[in-house]
This record gives sequence, C-alpha cells and structure tokens, in this order.
Amino acid sequence: MALITDNLPLIFAALMAVSILAYVVLDGYDLGVGMLMARGDRTERDRMISTIGPFWDANETWLVLGIGLLLVAFPAAHGLILTELYLPVALMLLGLTLRGVAFEFRVKAQLRYQGAWDWAFVAGSLLASVTQGYMLGRYVMGFQAGFWPELFALAAGFGLAASYTFVGSTWLLAKTEGPLQARAVGWARVTLLLTLLSMIAVSVATPLVSPRIFERWFSFPNIIGLLPIPIMTGAFFLALWVFLKRMPRADHSLDIAPFLGAMALFTLGFLGLAYSFYPYIVPERLTITEAASAPESLWIIFLGAFFVLPFIVGYTAFSYYVFRGKAHDLRYD
Amino acid sequence: MDPILLARIQFGANISFHILFPTITIALGWVLLFIKLRFNATKDEAWMNAYRFFVKVFALSFALGVVSGITMSFQFGTNWPGFMERVGNIAGPLLAYEVLTAFFLEATFLGIMLFGFRRVPNWVHTMATFLVAFGTTMSAFWIIVLNSWMHTPAGFELRNGVAHATDWWAIVFNPSMPYRLAHMLIASGLTCAFLIAGLSAWRWLRGDRERDVVLALRLGVTLGAVLIPVQILVGDLHGLNTLEHQPAKVAAMEGNWETRGNVPLVLFALPNERERRNDFQIAIPNGASLILKHHAEGVVPGLNQFEGKHPPVAPVFFAFRVMVGMGMAMLAISWLGSYFIWRRGHLPKLLAWGFVAMTFSGWIATLAGWYVTEIGRQPWLVTGVLSTAQAASAVPAGMIGTTLAMYLAIYVVLLGAYISVLFHLAGKGNAAVLGPVPAPGPNIPDPATVALETAR
Repeated sequence: MALITDNLPLIFAALMAVSILAYVVLDGYDLGVGMLMARGDRTERDRMISTIGPFWDANETWLVLGIGLLLVAFPAAHGLILTELYLPVALMLLGLTLRGVAFEFRVKAQLRYQGAWDWAFVAGSLLASVTQGYMLGRYVMGFQAGFWPELFALAAGFGLAASYTFVGSTWLLAKTEGPLQARAVGWARVTLLLTLLSMIAVSVATPLVSPRIFERWFSFPNIIGLLPIPIMTGAFFLALWVFLKRMPRADHSLDIAPFLGAMALFTLGFLGLAYSFYPYIVPERLTITEAASAPESLWIIFLGAFFVLPFIVGYTAFSYYVFRGKAHDLRYD
Repeated sequence: MDPILLARIQFGANISFHILFPTITIALGWVLLFIKLRFNATKDEAWMNAYRFFVKVFALSFALGVVSGITMSFQFGTNWPGFMERVGNIAGPLLAYEVLTAFFLEATFLGIMLFGFRRVPNWVHTMATFLVAFGTTMSAFWIIVLNSWMHTPAGFELRNGVAHATDWWAIVFNPSMPYRLAHMLIASGLTCAFLIAGLSAWRWLRGDRERDVVLALRLGVTLGAVLIPVQILVGDLHGLNTLEHQPAKVAAMEGNWETRGNVPLVLFALPNERERRNDFQIAIPNGASLILKHHAEGVVPGLNQFEGKHPPVAPVFFAFRVMVGMGMAMLAISWLGSYFIWRRGHLPKLLAWGFVAMTFSGWIATLAGWYVTEIGRQPWLVTGVLSTAQAASAVPAGMIGTTLAMYLAIYVVLLGAYISVLFHLAGKGNAAVLGPVPAPGPNIPDPATVALETAR
C-alpha cells in the first residue's frame, strides 16, 4: 500500500502517458485517413470513412482521458500548460469539432452540402493534427517565445500531420483492397520519409534546447543503455521501407504489418521524449511530484482505473474483433 | 470587457450548446432499446424501421454531444483554473469516473449499435443498444453528482483553503443530487418525447403514413403525456429542496423581496433590482406561501435578507417562467394529443402542426431550467466555498473574446445544420431514408436479419 501511495504521482504520469500514446496512435490513424480523403473521389472517400467509422469515437476518448488525468492528477501543470497553449488548444478543438460532426453530416445532409462537409472533414483533420504537432513543438521548446521556437513548433505541426498521415495510410492498407489499397501503399511510402524527417528534427532539437536533456542522452554510461532506442527506431524505418516496396502481397497476408510497425515507431518516439523530459511535467519548471494532487483523491481514481481499465481494453478488443478484416460500406441495417 | 464575464459567457455558451445533445441522447438511447425490444418480441418490421430512422437522429446528436463535450473538458481548466485548485480533490475523481465508466462504454458500443447489425448476433446488437443507453445515463449521473455538489457541497473539509474529501458517500449523495438527477433525466425524457412526436408529425403531415411513422408518433405523444405530470411533481420537490439549501435562489425565482408570510405567487413582473421591488406585477395572493410552505401564512425568504449575496434577479426570474410556461404547454398538447390518438385513432391536422412547432420545446425548457439553477447559484461557483470570480483564469480578455467569437460562429452553423438535417431526414420519406433492400450479409445468418429480409 505504502509502495503505491508513495508512487501515485509516478503511476498517474505513466497512465497519462499511456493515454496520450493511445490517442496519438489511434486517433492518429483517424486524422490521417481524414487528411488523405483530400486525395480520394466520392466512392473512395466513403470507403475510407468506413474503415474508421466504428472506431473514431472511442479513439478520441483517449484524449479526454489523457487531458482529464492531467486535470485531475496534475492540476498545477494543467493550468500552466493550457494557459501557454490557449489559442492552439482552441484551434485544435475547432478542428476536432469539424471532423467529428462531418462524419454524420457528410452522409445525412442535403445532397448539395455533402461535398462541403467532406471538405470540412479534411480541413478539421488537418487543423487538429497541425495544432497538436505545434503544441508538441512548443512543449519540446519549453514554451519559449520568439521567432525560431515558433518556427520550430510550426514545423513540428506539419511533421506530426505527416506522421498521422503515415499511420492513416498503413491503416488503409490494412483495411482496404484493390486500387485504393494500392494508392495507400504509395501514400505510406511518401509519408514514411516525412515521418523519419520529423522524428530526426525533434530528436536533434530536444537535446540542443536543454543542456539537461543533452546530458541525459550523451553522458557515459547512459548512452550505452539508451542506444537501443535510436537503433530500433532506425531498424523499424528500414524494415517498413523495404516491406512497403513489396506491398500489397498477392495473398494479402501481413496487410496489418505496416500498421503495427507504425505503432512501434510511435511508441519508440514517445519513449524517447518521455525519457528526455522525466521527471518534469512542464519542461524545466514543474516536476511530476510537485504538480500532483492530494494522495487520497489519487487513490480513489487509481482504484477506479485499476478495475475499469481492463474492461475498457476488453471491449475495445471486442469492437476491433467485430469489425475485423476489410471494411465494407457502412450501413445501419 | 471584463475577462471574468467573457469567460462566463464562453463557458455558458459552450455548456448550453453541449447540453442540447445529451438531453436528447440520454433518453433516446432507452427509447431505441424499447423499440428494439418491441421488434425482438413482435418481429414487426415497422419497429425496426422506426429504429433505423431514430438511430440516425441518435448518431447525429451523439456526434454533436461528443465534440462539444471535448471542448468542455478543456474549458474546465482554461476558464476556471481556480476550480481545480480549490476543489480538484473532489471534482477530479468524479470527472475521472465519468470518463472511465461512461465515455469509453458509450463510444465503443456506439460503433456496434450503428454499424454492427449484420456483423453480430441480434442479441449482441440489442445488448450494445443497452450499453450505449446505460453509458449515457452513467455520464449524466456523474456530472449531475458534481454539479449538485457545487450547489450543495457535503462530505469534505477545507485544509489551507483546499477542499479534501472526508466522506465519498456524502459527496455523491449530497442533498440536492437525487432531485436534480431525477429532474434532469425526466427533462431528457420529455425533450426526446417531443422530438420524436414533432419529427413523426412532420413525416405524417408530409404524407408518409407508413406504420413505423404512426407507431413513433404514438410513442412520442404518449411518452410526453406520461412524463410531464411526473416532471411537475419532481420539479416541485426539487424547488422545496432548493428552498432549504439555497433560499436566495428561490427568492429570485419567485421575485420576492421581503421575508414574510402571505407571499403572493408572482405570475408576471419586471424585477427592479435597483429599487428592490417589482414593476407591473400580476400575482395570486398567498400563492407562493401556499406552494412553498403549504399554508397561507407561511414565511418565505425574500431577497433583501441576502442583499449583496443573491444572484441577479431578472434572469433567474424570467428563465423560471419560461421553463414553467413550456411545461404547461407540454402538458396541454401531450394530453390533448393522447386523447385524440387513443380515443379517436388519429391526430387532427392542426394538432399535428402543434407537435411540429413543439419539436424542440424540450430544449427551451431544459436550457431555461439550467439557467435558473446555475445563475441562481451566483455569486458562488461552489456554494459557500468558492466564488466564480476566485476561480477565473489569468487569460487576457482579448484572447477569450477571440475564441468566444469563433465558438459562437461554429455553434450557430452547427445548430442550423443540425435542425435542417433532422427535418431533411424526416421529409425524405421511408424509401429514401432506409435505402435499397440490403443484400444478404456475408456474415452471421441471424434469425432477426433473415426475418427482416424475408419480410421485405
């Protein structure tokens, strides 16, 4: 018990990190597919939507959990971070709103408006992705003001959008067939390179901004222990590149593999970032322990999460099982 | 402009927009489950057609509820950082339980409910409908617990100005929670009943006399007629509970200035806060004393007893009258409608138009009710613990104003689109809404699906 009580802030930081990672990967493919819709015709767009239709809502809930945990477990950090990011947060919400309602309006609205809602879908997905990446960039820069940090954050915005497009492409590769799948392979190859570029940029910038982070990565013997992270990341990139050249395979086995590879890449990148910033929750300003709420309240949430999360994972798996295989047209009957 | 006022308008606008959609989906989930169970029991295709029409309404309303809810989860922090600093130890777990026990459940099973009919056995689809309805209701439960706690806080102690939980049972079942929860859930039922009746009346007037339309019309009208007297009773009990715990709010609702007996029931007036009296008052003698204290001499608290610590009078006073007036209109039309439907077997045209006009009456009553209770809580955010001004953030007014304008613009567009799309769906006629006859699915040959397809 004391072991848990003493480590509650750490446990909640880990829970929050898992939620954010789950959000980035899961809603990442929704948003990626949303942006890729710009490249499809009406039939292809319908099919693309049908690959994410049954899942997007639950995927987005991970964001609510992540931000909710930040709010309830680390209220001081929540205040600081969201005040710094007030405008990009508002724009992200605008994007998520447009994307979320367009799911419904694009098929239910009067015929003459349906095309406009398709574009709202694309624009909403793009806006949400770019603002999320921008916020990541500001965070990495420790919320410094000025031209260069802003430029970096903006570049990170497009970098994350490209990475989401990559996950989205691999998702389409897994869930579609025929010409659309072939196009998805092409999109995946281009966006894989952009993802590589973005990850390198963030990995170079992070230690340069903070001497503390530089020290963490490049001092001896840390560097030996940490080496597997960049090496594995590089190996995954290479494997994905080679693999995507041979996709789709004639028997459609392993269609899911690139998506799993993309998940692994995101996880590795996330681990790298988490290692860089630990124990800070607001870079160089506030640590996890300093920002945490009262232990008795964290206990109550911990108990709830401990018993409920397995159910959530279970029925999420059930939902993916029900909608397994290639996506067909979405219909209500 | 004052940043606190801007932050309040922004949060108020967002929460007002948000509540419109859960108010529909909380009850519509249960209505869909009822319709699905009727279909399972009767194998009557008309029920499934009704299900398919209203599940579209559900999906659209749900999406709007989700996106505006996400905005809210951020605005708790951006607009009211002081709220989490002071009472985060209590609000935090309640919000976390809402996400854990409600949001994931409804979001995940919604996918199966909407798109899984031909992918899972019929009973799993029925179960998914139940879990979605259950999830929306759980979500209402937790958020009403938190909201009620803000009105009538209990089960905590203040240490260095920060609230710490001492008794979770007392926090969850705080004094106003059971009344507020019942009042809100029935409000949701009524909103949904009038939405169903209004859309069905519209379809019926447009010449769509299929059996599913008639069934839904009858369902909506009857549900409204049954719920409205219950709501009046529960509302009265909630009012008495408020009188006990937040007398200043009741004084503002009644427009009563002096604490005394023989207080009249004010039907209409213009409350004049500067001179602390009502202008142009029309009132029933002893009415308020009779309603609140059950005898004519009953002493009812007046606003002057709370000078400087009571809410702004006019908005509470008028919102209360809008809510009650809407309730009376609902009572009249739903009982008249039930009489014609059950005794005469049909609805006169004029009355059908009346139901079309009342399609969103539940929204108006619900919003007015929330304005009564939330404005009525001012100047407190958490009664006696934290004032609204103390909770406000340091975000500059310009930034709040800019984002407020953006939110308002998008809400106006979405609300217009939502209403026009609902009537568009209702006006399309059965064949167009339901689409072509489905080809037999490649998956599980479920008996219900087979029955449905042979029936076509």
